Amino acid sequence: MDPAGQSPVPDTLKIVVAGGFGAGKTTLVSALSEVESLHTEEVMTSESVGVDDLGGVEGKSTTTVALDFGRVTLDASTVVYLFGTPGQRRFAFMWEELAQGALGAVVLADTRRLADSFDVIDFFESRGVPFVVAVNCFDGQRTHRAEDVRVALDVAEGVPVLLCDARERESVKEVVVELVSLVLRLELSGA
Amino acid sequence: MSAGSSEEEGWSAESSLIRPYSLTGGRTRPSRSDFSMTSQVVAAPSVDAQEVDPELELILSVCARPVSVAELASRSGFPLGVLRVLLADLLDRGQVMVHTSGWERQRPDAQTLRMVLERIREL
Ligand SMILES: Nc1nc2c(ncn2[C@@H]2O[C@H](COP(=O)(O)OP(=O)(O)OP(=O)(O)O)[C@@H](O)[C@H]2O)c(=O)[nH]1
Ligand SMILES: [Mg+2]
Repeated sequence: MDPAGQSPVPDTLKIVVAGGFGAGKTTLVSALSEVESLHTEEVMTSESVGVDDLGGVEGKSTTTVALDFGRVTLDASTVVYLFGTPGQRRFAFMWEELAQGALGAVVLADTRRLADSFDVIDFFESRGVPFVVAVNCFDGQRTHRAEDVRVALDVAEGVPVLLCDARERESVKEVVVELVSLVLRLELSGA
Repeated sequence: MSAGSSEEEGWSAESSLIRPYSLTGGRTRPSRSDFSMTSQVVAAPSVDAQEVDPELELILSVCARPVSVAELASRSGFPLGVLRVLLADLLDRGQVMVHTSGWERQRPDAQTLRMVLERIREL
C-alpha cells in the first residue's frame, strides 16, 4: 500500500466494549488508550436501522449515536482499537457493525443495574463473538462475587466473569488479557 | 485539524453537517464498502494537484499518514456515514488507498494471539 515504505500500515484488532448507560465504558477505554479517548458519531437514520428497531427514538428520522474509542499500539505492525458502545437494544445496529470482524468483546456490567447487560450478552452469544463479563464495582469495595454475577446474568460456563475497576489501568489490562486468553483457548481448541 | 478546532472556529454542528450531506448528493451509503471502522486509509501521493473540495482536502490532510477510518472521522469531524461516502469517492478517484486487516476476516493465529497477550501485559 505504501511503496515508499515510510509509513508502515499496521494490522488492526478490534475489541468492542459494551455496557449500559453509565456503566463505565468511556472510563475503561480511556484507561488503556494511548491517546485521549477519541470520539466520533454515527448518524442513525430510519434507513440504517429497521424502522421497527427505533424503539425509544420513534418519530425521529435521525439521531446521533456517540461512539468513543481508544487506540493501543502493540508494535509497529499491530494496533488494538477499543470501541465503546451503548448497551441499549436500540443501538443494536452499532453492535452489528462493531461485531463484524471483532476479536472479541467486553461486556461491562454495572452491579447496580445488572439487567442492562442482558441484551448485549444475548447479542454476542447469538453472533458467536467471544466475550468476557467485566463487573464494574461502583460501591468501591469488591464485595460482589464474580460467581454470583455469573448466576444472575446466566452466562455459559466458558465465559470468564471478573471484577474490575474501569478507572484502573492495571485492572483494565487484566480484563483485556482475559479476553485475549479466551480467544486463544478458542483458537487452540479449533472452535 | 480536529473536531475541537472546528468548534473554535465557530462552526455549529449543524452547518458542518449540512455541507457534507450536500457533497454526498444525499447519499447515505457509499458506492462501495471497503471501509470498516479500523481500515487504515492513506492519501495517495498526488501526481498532479487536482482541484478538490475543501472537505475532501481536509480528509486528505488528516490521512497524509495511515490512519483508521474511526480516527479519520474523529479528527475530521464528519459522522462515519458521511465520511464513508466521501472516502469511497476519493478511492474511486485514486486519491486514497485503503488497507483492511486480514484479522477482520479471520481470527489471528495462536502465535499472534500469544504475542498480543505478551504485549498487553507489558503495557
Ligand atoms: N466507583 C467507580 N466509578 C466508576 C468506575 N468506572 C467509571 N466510574 C465513574 O462512573 C461514571 C460514568 O462512567 P463513564 O465511563 O462515563 O460511563 P459510560 O458507560 O461511558 O457512560 P455513557 O456513555 O453515558 O453510557 C464516571 O463518573 C466515572 O468516573 C468504577 O469502576 N468505579
Ligand atoms: Mg461513555
